[in-house]
Amino acid sequence: MSAARAGAGGATPPPHAPEFEVVPREGGIVAVRFVAMASPCELLLETAETHTAHEMGRVAAQEAWRIESKYSRYRPGSIVSVINRSQGHAVVVDGETAALLDYAAQCHLLSDGRFDITSGVLRRCWRFDGSDRLPEPGAVAALLPLIGFEKVQWRASRITVPAGMEIDFGGIGKEYAVDRVLCLIAARFAGAALVNFGGDLAANRAPGTGPWQVGVERPGTEREARLLLELSRGGLATSGDTHRFLLRDGVRYGHILDVRTGWPVPQVPRSVTVAATSCVEAGMCATFAMLQGIGAEAFLEEQGFRYWCLR
Amino acid sequence: MQLKRPRSPLHLGLMAASCALLSDSARAQAAPDDAAEKPLQIDTDLLYYKENAGRVQTIEPVVSLKKDFGDQRLLDGTLTLDTLSGATPNGAIPSRKPQTFASPSSTSLTPKPGYKTTLYTIAPGDLPQDPHFKERRVAGDLDWSQPIGLDNTVSYGGHASTEHDFDSVAVHVGLSHDFNEKNTTLSAGINEEYDRIHAHGGNPVAGSDYALYEKEPSQTKNLAGGLIGVTQVMRRNWLTELNYTFDHSQGYLTDPYRIISVLDDTGAVTGYRYENRPDTRTRQSLYWVNKVALGPTVLDLSYRRGKDSWGIGSDTVDAKLRIDLGSGMSLEPHARWYHQSAADFYNLYLSETGPAPTYMSADPRLAAFAATTFGLKFGIATRRNGELSLRLEQYQQRPSDQASSLAELQGLDLNPNLKATIVQLSWHLEY
Repeated sequence: MSAARAGAGGATPPPHAPEFEVVPREGGIVAVRFVAMASPCELLLETAETHTAHEMGRVAAQEAWRIESKYSRYRPGSIVSVINRSQGHAVVVDGETAALLDYAAQCHLLSDGRFDITSGVLRRCWRFDGSDRLPEPGAVAALLPLIGFEKVQWRASRITVPAGMEIDFGGIGKEYAVDRVLCLIAARFAGAALVNFGGDLAANRAPGTGPWQVGVERPGTEREARLLLELSRGGLATSGDTHRFLLRDGVRYGHILDVRTGWPVPQVPRSVTVAATSCVEAGMCATFAMLQGIGAEAFLEEQGFRYWCLR
Repeated sequence: MQLKRPRSPLHLGLMAASCALLSDSARAQAAPDDAAEKPLQIDTDLLYYKENAGRVQTIEPVVSLKKDFGDQRLLDGTLTLDTLSGATPNGAIPSRKPQTFASPSSTSLTPKPGYKTTLYTIAPGDLPQDPHFKERRVAGDLDWSQPIGLDNTVSYGGHASTEHDFDSVAVHVGLSHDFNEKNTTLSAGINEEYDRIHAHGGNPVAGSDYALYEKEPSQTKNLAGGLIGVTQVMRRNWLTELNYTFDHSQGYLTDPYRIISVLDDTGAVTGYRYENRPDTRTRQSLYWVNKVALGPTVLDLSYRRGKDSWGIGSDTVDAKLRIDLGSGMSLEPHARWYHQSAADFYNLYLSETGPAPTYMSADPRLAAFAATTFGLKFGIATRRNGELSLRLEQYQQRPSDQASSLAELQGLDLNPNLKATIVQLSWHLEY
C-alpha cells in the first residue's frame, strides 16, 4: 500500500523548540523573544514573574516550532512534503491538518478561487529579486494546468493531489501559529497576553494599563514608516509586497500572483493591514484585499473590517 | 481607519471559517488519538478453485465490508456466494469391472414408478466419482467489536449459510484484555454452531447396505467450541501469537454422499455400504504464528498442531513473505506443508469376511496424506489506499495409502493424488 499516512501523532520528533530570551519591560510587562518561521517572534505577558514568562515562553516556542516543522514545505518530513511527494496517491491526514485543509478549501470558495494553496508551483518561474527578469509567458502558461484547488480531491481525512501539483500553507501557517500560541497561553496564564510573529499578531485582552501599543512595520514603504496602533483583543495581520517585486519598463510586478493567469495582480497596494477577531481571519482578509489589486480598498470597505491600506 | 457595520457575507464566511479552523484544530490537538480517520473498508474477492481430472471446481465471490465507527467500534460483514460443480469421489475404489451407482438425488437404485433414478457408470480402473455434483452456497457473517473500558475489547457475531442440502447458523462471543502497556493481549472466546443436513434424495441410514438404499429425513448436528490465546509484542518488529482451540461436535457427522466398497478376498467388489462416523467428535489445536517485519519485507510464519478424537493428528507449517517492490507493488510467495494421520475408522475398503466395523469411511479427507501448497501473490496499490492483487496457487495432496496387495486390485491407483489450482483476484478499497 503506497498511500502515505502522516501527521497523526506517533512519529513526533523529539522536542527541539527554538531558544528564547526573557526581557522585562516597563509597565509590568515581560517580553519573550525567539525566532521561528523565519520571523522574529515576541510574546508579551502582563506579569511580574519571570518564571511564568519562562514557562509561557517554552509553551509558545514549542508550539511555533511544532507548527513550523509540521507544515513547512521546506522540511522533507512535514505533512506538506508528504502530500507533495504523494504522486497522485491519497494521503490520510490528522485532524489538525484536516482543519487547515478545510479552511483552505473555504477560503478558495470565498475568494472565488483567487486564494489557492496550489499556486506555489508558480514560484518555479517567478523570482521576485528586484530585477527586470520576467519569465517567458510560455513558461507561466505551462504551469497553469498544475494549479487549481478544484483539481485536488479533499474529502473527510483524505487528500489526493494530482501528480505534479503542490500545496503549501503560505498565508495561513504563520497566522495560525499566532492564534494557536495565544490559545495555549490563554489556557495557562490568567493575565493579558499578546503574540507577535513578524507583524502578525493576536491578543487576548488589554493589560490593566490600557490597550497594547503595537508598532506595525509596513513593508514596501521606503521610509519603513511604522504604523502605531492600539489593540485590545483579536488579531492583526499585514500582507505586503516587501521588496519582492520585478521592475520592467517602468511597470512594477508585485509578488501577489493571479492563479487564473499566473501573472502578478496589477496595481496591488504596497501593504494592507487588517484587524479582525483572530489573526488567521485578519491575515486572510488582507490577502483577499491584495488579490483585488486596484479594488483592494473598495473590497475592504465593503467587508467592514478595520484596515490600513498603503499604496 | 474604518469601522463599518453590518459585516458582509464574505466577512461572516471568513469569520466562520477562521473560527472553525481554530476550534477544530484545538479539538484535534486535544484528542490526537481520535484524529485518525474512520474509514469504510471494502474487500472484494473472486476465488476460482479447480481440481485436476475434471473434479470439483468452485467460483466464489466474497464481499466484505468493515466500518469503523470510531473509538475502536468496528462492524464487519461478509457475504459469500459459492458455486461448486464437477465430479466428486463417492468413496468407492476403482475396480477391474465397470461399476454403476445412483446419483444421490435418486430415490431408488432401480427405475420404478413414482421414484427417481439417475445412474452413472464408472469404467474399469477409474475412480468412482459422481459427475452430477453441483451446489450453491450463500453465507453471511456479521461481527461487532467494541472496547470496554481502556484495556478490554468485546466482540460478538453470527454466521448463517444455506445450501440445497445443508443449513448452518452459528454465534460467537469473544473477550480480549490488553496489559503490559498493550504489548500483551489475552483473548478468550466461545462459539456455538447448529447445522441441519437434508441431503439430496434424503439422508442415507449410516452404515447401511447401499443396495437397500434406505433413506431418512433430515438430521442435525451441533458444535460448541472455545478459544484462548495470547498475543505478545516481542520486539518493535516482531509479533507472536499462541492460540489453543477446542471444540466438540455431536449429531449426524456422517457424510451422506459417501460410500465404501465391500470386497471379497480376491479384491472383487461384492457391494457397498454407506459410511458411518461416530456421532461425537472432539478437536483440539494449538496454533503459533509469528509476524516479523524485516524492513519493508514482512515474514508470516505459523505452525499448527491439531488432534481429534477420531484419531486424526495434523501438522501445518505455513510461511508467507511479503516483499515490497516499491512504487506500490508487492510480491508475496507462499509455501504450506500439511500432514495428517488417518481416522481410526478410515479404510480404503471393507472386507466381506470378518465382522463389519461399527464405524467406517473411505472419505479421502479422513485418510493419511501429506499436502503442499505453493503460491505467489502480486499486489499493486490503487487509489483510496486500495490494493488490487492476484494470487496463484498450486495445491497437491498425496495420500499415503494408495495400493492394495489383493489380486484384483493389483496395479490400480485406489486413492489418486489430488491437484488443485487456485486463482484469486482481490480488491481492497477504503473510503
